[in-house]
Amino acid sequence: MVGKPQHITIAFDVMGSDHGPAEVVRGAAQLSLESPHIHALLVGDRPVIDEALAGIKHNGERISVHHAGDYVGMDEKPGEALARKPESSVAVAARLVAEGEAHALVSAGNTGAGVLACKRHFQLIPGVRRAALATVYPTRGVRGAKQDPFSLILDVGATVEATAEDLVAFAVMGSAYARIISRNERPKVALLSNGVEPQKGPPRVVEAHQRLSQMTGLNFTGNVEGIDIPRGTADVIVTDGFVGNVCLKMLEGVHDTVMELAQYAYKESLRWRAGLAMLSSGIERLKDITDWEQYGGAPILGFDRIFIKAHGRSRARAIANAGKVAAKAVANELGTAIQEGLAK
Amino acid sequence: MSLPDRIDPPPPRRIYRWDLDKTYLQTDFESLRDLFRTAFQKAHEKVAVPGASALIRELAEQGDSRLCIVSGSPKQMRAVLEEKLKLDGVQWDEFVLKDNVGNLLRGRFRALRGQVGYKLPAILESRVNAPVEAEEVLFGDDAEADAFIYSLYADLIAGRVDERVLSQVLEAGGVYPDDAARVHEAWKKIPIADPVRRIFIHLDRLTPPAHFTPYGPRVVPIFNYFQAALVLLADGHLTAPQVLKIAVEMVQTAGHNIITLSNSFQDLLRRGLPLQQAAIALSQAMEGPNALLKAMRPVPDILAAFSKRLAALGTQPPPPRVQAVDYVSLISHALPRTHKGRTLKPQS
Repeated sequence: MVGKPQHITIAFDVMGSDHGPAEVVRGAAQLSLESPHIHALLVGDRPVIDEALAGIKHNGERISVHHAGDYVGMDEKPGEALARKPESSVAVAARLVAEGEAHALVSAGNTGAGVLACKRHFQLIPGVRRAALATVYPTRGVRGAKQDPFSLILDVGATVEATAEDLVAFAVMGSAYARIISRNERPKVALLSNGVEPQKGPPRVVEAHQRLSQMTGLNFTGNVEGIDIPRGTADVIVTDGFVGNVCLKMLEGVHDTVMELAQYAYKESLRWRAGLAMLSSGIERLKDITDWEQYGGAPILGFDRIFIKAHGRSRARAIANAGKVAAKAVANELGTAIQEGLAK
Repeated sequence: MSLPDRIDPPPPRRIYRWDLDKTYLQTDFESLRDLFRTAFQKAHEKVAVPGASALIRELAEQGDSRLCIVSGSPKQMRAVLEEKLKLDGVQWDEFVLKDNVGNLLRGRFRALRGQVGYKLPAILESRVNAPVEAEEVLFGDDAEADAFIYSLYADLIAGRVDERVLSQVLEAGGVYPDDAARVHEAWKKIPIADPVRRIFIHLDRLTPPAHFTPYGPRVVPIFNYFQAALVLLADGHLTAPQVLKIAVEMVQTAGHNIITLSNSFQDLLRRGLPLQQAAIALSQAMEGPNALLKAMRPVPDILAAFSKRLAALGTQPPPPRVQAVDYVSLISHALPRTHKGRTLKPQS
């Protein structure tokens, strides 16, 4: 396990984001101005990085560059792409983290390639059989000292068929992450099922429920249903990668549909437009609360090193925040917290 | 310096010209409150930019150089500033301060903020008395017009700027006629030579380095004085052990560490400065017995950090192209930072 470092270096996979390398470089530059204890290691095409960096405000004492001439595109198949491109930015960045050149990795590129690169270069924490891809979702409630409006859902795609043992590990990992990042001392952890009763759901969920109920040091609140996700009933929602991914896509779809309906309403009738105008401050507040750029990114949990997956559409602010989240996870020794949680 | 040298000093081989605020001293005068605080600070309360005093002391080590300070601070602060320099062990040969009270009494309000009409005549007049062969290195910051003024100064004495351009610049810079006359008079007395080797711009405001690209590779924006020391090592002004002494002071007094120093080294490499030989010299100096280095980290760590930053870059890019500086297109840089005509967009 990595010890608590005085200065934290975050490796940024500069290539592969939807907005191109300049936006990731801008995010890292912003971080170099805002956080004196964080250093950025930019991994990607060096001439491109140099050009982007030269034209923006940054602190050169806190930024270094590692050239990687290749990258994995968003639409490429992760396994094939990594095999063909061993020197791609995400692979090189993961390798540098594994070698101790940086403490954590942030990437806004191809998620599959990021997870695979981590699998190849990082070690799983003892007691964890499968890594989990987490995501944050805005809810009605707030949690922790930071009044965090986001709840954590895991897994959303890394482990399609999770066993009861995996689900237990996911619960411990999610709880440790919420405790550290949201400063939520006793995050409420729940299992996603088709009913709140302990016996509801497939055998692995029932078994996981039994085991989680017996665990000390974990604030397990039982099962929740899909409806509870946006309500924010639990701070950490545990499920397998298949169900989690379906849920996530559905929630994104609902969000997009609501937005489209609002646009339709705005165009359709003057009365509706007036109504929306009256609600504008509320809508703005809602936008603030649900602004995922504030959060930065979502973690891949289970490895001995930190990987924060920033959204492909991340702008500089989101990238900088992802760097801060990664640094916070490193500084608070997330890996050790997970390991300790699993031992209880 | 030996006693005979002190009585009858040899002509300087090198002249180092320094600005003071934000270049040597960490000064904040963004607000009126900061301005007052700075004005009433005692010498021991003033803080030097990390590494600056060590660099000046090491540059003076050979005994054949001259330190000329031209600062925009008012003359009334002379006693405090001199005391601060003495506290830091810095010895100077010339120390020019701005006559702000005189400017105010004479109603020369433009001269209060303007830098071209103050610094350009002052450094040209200083050069009049310098030996033709004495080379120069200048230190300024990104708060005002230092890169512009120093480059113009260098190109004026090298004969690369004509009278027409100079007049345009003086006019655009809001220079009063008597100061403009001083510029012309001093300029005519200086024999044509090309003595300015480097112009270092301390990035106090973290202005993007590309902002200084139009001035060519002679102007080197620096985030800290370790970077200046590295370039001066490559240029033959400092030895590797001297650079290490500066680095050690920065580590001991300003919280620098092996990461910030190695990142600073790589930053210069990425900007195309040819520092490979300097890196080798530094590595060799570190391998010898050097008690000073104990203040940093085990030597293998330092060497590894520098080697990694070097290796991480792949092929070194070609050094930046030497080009003529187009002062007319950069005229806005001659204006005070708060002037509405000032642009700070990076130039290509």
